[in-house]
Amino acid sequence: MSSRRSSRSRQSGSSRISDDQISDLVTKLQHLIPELRRRRSDKVSASKVLQETCNYIRNLHREVDDLSDRLSELLASTDDNSAEAAIIRSLLNY
Amino acid sequence: MASSDKTINTDVPEKDVFAIHFLQSLSNLTTQNPFNSPDTTNYRARKIKKAAYVSMAKAAGGSSRLWSRALLGRAAKENNKIVRFARRKRKVTWKISSKRRSDQRAPEATDRLRNLVPGGGTMETSKLMEETAHYIKCLSMQVKVMQCLVDGLSPK
Repeated sequence: MSSRRSSRSRQSGSSRISDDQISDLVTKLQHLIPELRRRRSDKVSASKVLQETCNYIRNLHREVDDLSDRLSELLASTDDNSAEAAIIRSLLNY
Repeated sequence: MASSDKTINTDVPEKDVFAIHFLQSLSNLTTQNPFNSPDTTNYRARKIKKAAYVSMAKAAGGSSRLWSRALLGRAAKENNKIVRFARRKRKVTWKISSKRRSDQRAPEATDRLRNLVPGGGTMETSKLMEETAHYIKCLSMQVKVMQCLVDGLSPK
């Protein structure tokens, strides 16, 4: 594994990241993803981490989509359902 | 030769930084097209979504991250031209190009990740991991902020 270091550093001389740092990053990613955090064991393979990362990012994108839709509807309605809503609306110049 | 910092920093700002940027973006939107104008909900939703990503990129430190730079660059291009055909899509194909010969470990998943993270197509794998971690943190912050807004505006 360590023999790949020379070819990896070829691309950008400033970021010579060691394999330790890469596995550190993969571990960090693992802790960030709720799916994998529960397992907590270090036996999760790198490809599993990457796979779950992709799924997690896709889910987050979808959530942003949904929340944008809901915000759009909520901001369009003119009822002030609560004091909170009134404050938010006035903050947004509506 | 070991790099100077042993631990790579992927800290993100606090939630209120994201909130402020997003509210600012939203209020700019409302002044341009007031929300009671007869725009379709879809159009507004698209605008809000774009505002969310742009404000997230700004809150996360604009030019200091590759993903935020890519995001903001893309948004700027979209603003200047209504219809723009990319001269060459930099989307990474499933085949391993000769440049990434060293990433034999998990080629498919890495490429998929590159397509999901803004600007990921041209990053070195280790940099991609770092950017992904930061991107995920920022995305979840942004989601929290938007959820708070929705909760605040929703009927009680």
